[in-house]
Amino acid sequence: MRQQAVAPAASWLPWSVVDAYTATSRYLRRGMRQPDVIFGSILIPIIFVVLFGYVFGGSIKIPGGNYRSYLMPGLFAQAILFGSNSVAVGIATDMSEGVIDRFKTLPIGRSAIVIGRAVSALLLGIPAMVVMILCALAVGWRPTGGLGNAALAFGLYELFGFAAIWLGILVGLLAQSSQAADVIMGIPTFLLGFISNVFVDPANMPAWLRVFANWNPMSALVTAGRQLFGNSIGPPPSGVWSLDHPVVTTIGLAIVIVAIVAPFCVCRYSRTSR
Amino acid sequence: MTSAAISVERLARSFGQTHALVDVSFEVRSGSVCALLGRNGAGKTTAVRILTTLLSADSGRAQVAGFDVFSQADKVRARIGVTGQTATMDELLTGHENLEIIGRFCHLGAATSRRRADELLREFDLVDAKDRLVKKYSGGMRRRLDLAASLIAEPEVLFLDEPTTGLDPISRREMWTALRGLVARGTTVLLTTQYLDEADQLADTIVVIDRGLVVAQGTPEQLKASIGRPHVVVTLPDLDAAALERVRGLLGDQAEIHGLSVRTPASNGLATLSAVVTQLERMGLPIYEVGLEHPSLDEVFSTVTGHSDEAGMTAPATGKDG
Repeated sequence: MRQQAVAPAASWLPWSVVDAYTATSRYLRRGMRQPDVIFGSILIPIIFVVLFGYVFGGSIKIPGGNYRSYLMPGLFAQAILFGSNSVAVGIATDMSEGVIDRFKTLPIGRSAIVIGRAVSALLLGIPAMVVMILCALAVGWRPTGGLGNAALAFGLYELFGFAAIWLGILVGLLAQSSQAADVIMGIPTFLLGFISNVFVDPANMPAWLRVFANWNPMSALVTAGRQLFGNSIGPPPSGVWSLDHPVVTTIGLAIVIVAIVAPFCVCRYSRTSR
Repeated sequence: MTSAAISVERLARSFGQTHALVDVSFEVRSGSVCALLGRNGAGKTTAVRILTTLLSADSGRAQVAGFDVFSQADKVRARIGVTGQTATMDELLTGHENLEIIGRFCHLGAATSRRRADELLREFDLVDAKDRLVKKYSGGMRRRLDLAASLIAEPEVLFLDEPTTGLDPISRREMWTALRGLVARGTTVLLTTQYLDEADQLADTIVVIDRGLVVAQGTPEQLKASIGRPHVVVTLPDLDAAALERVRGLLGDQAEIHGLSVRTPASNGLATLSAVVTQLERMGLPIYEVGLEHPSLDEVFSTVTGHSDEAGMTAPATGKDG
């Protein structure tokens, strides 16, 4: 047998961690080379602020409060949720090209590529979030609940986003094409995003929609955000456990989703035969 | 451990009603080049996907670099390089970045990965393009970068699935040159191809597969010899029926006239040829050319697969293997 001239390096970290880091940095570098995508991800939240803050917002009356302050914690959640769409499309594109086949023939951990996708998607979403916050401040939104609570709120948004990203990866792996992934991901995110307390108080919705809107995890996240930022316009409707305990609900749900979906994604990705 | 770098025994794989591999067995000696030759859909890609741990088999055994591809997939992956039919390089990264990342995934460490990337870019004549994004590369450059990527960890066994399909003739030549360089270093290579001339040019042994079965295997020479002996061909300068008849009389019972030429089996190879030349000189006929013609692999192929060249086996095509 031939002597190998290029010997594998030693590492003090487990290779699975190193591989996940390598995959993350690869996706980050890719992400930063797509200025059009970055531009779009920043532009869309700005459009939402203008559209709902000024176009529709002028006609929406909320009791005893500034609508734009009420709206902003909802738009943060909206931006986070819609961000998971592009992950689904991205991973579905990967699967349909030869890139993944090459990765599968390399001696890397089975989890590295999907973890790299998830972590890089989370990090690549941060610039859009920062622009969103600046926008919110520009239109008069103020977090009045203290810096610690504001930080906790953004932590919740990112945690929720991480769970949504994993769901996006799952859809991307199961979809037959990137177009299919876009549609399969688009419809639920649209429904979850709009049938919620993001834009309006569900109290004025018909009963069957109100039940959905109240129990919608987006509503729990937005309620948590409004409470922590000090933007609430009154107590949440009683009797809805997830809105009475929005922080616990958001953290618990996100952990459960990641704990179930992430291992499933790794299995699905590493299946040998297709 | 045997000296076989690849050993395949009775491999079978179906996709629903499609029997991609029915019963395939072959061995590739360590340090040699083997060509899996077959037309589109013959089962070449399925065989490569199984050997590179991408696909499971229904039955049979397969070993690569001494390890079982099914139960020891990780050990196999650490010892192989793979270049598939589709481009696998990231368009949004530069050539150098692509190679470096593959090196890091092969656990070479960042410094060695960068060094190997530089070496390979030099070797494959991509130094000028190293910091250019791959989306600006030409087709031939992409293939070379893909090949370079599969060599980054100096694999013991290299798999190339149709390495030159869809390339223009100049890029094909460049690819062949690059492949010959590898072979000189002792890497074992299994390549699939639908081009007979490619198999003839590059391979030590050829395994012809058709409809999931091995229909012939051996060295290019053995395959040609199994089909027939060489022919002596005498070509006259112009169409002169009387002269052609005289040459045919000279060459014996089995001689046939084709246009300006007369062909006859050369039972003793070169000795037959020189005897024919001596006799032609004695007759004093004007002769355009006398030569020995070896059977081509095209003939071998159509004979062993039992069907003629209807799919354009030798013409460059861009089709994919199923």
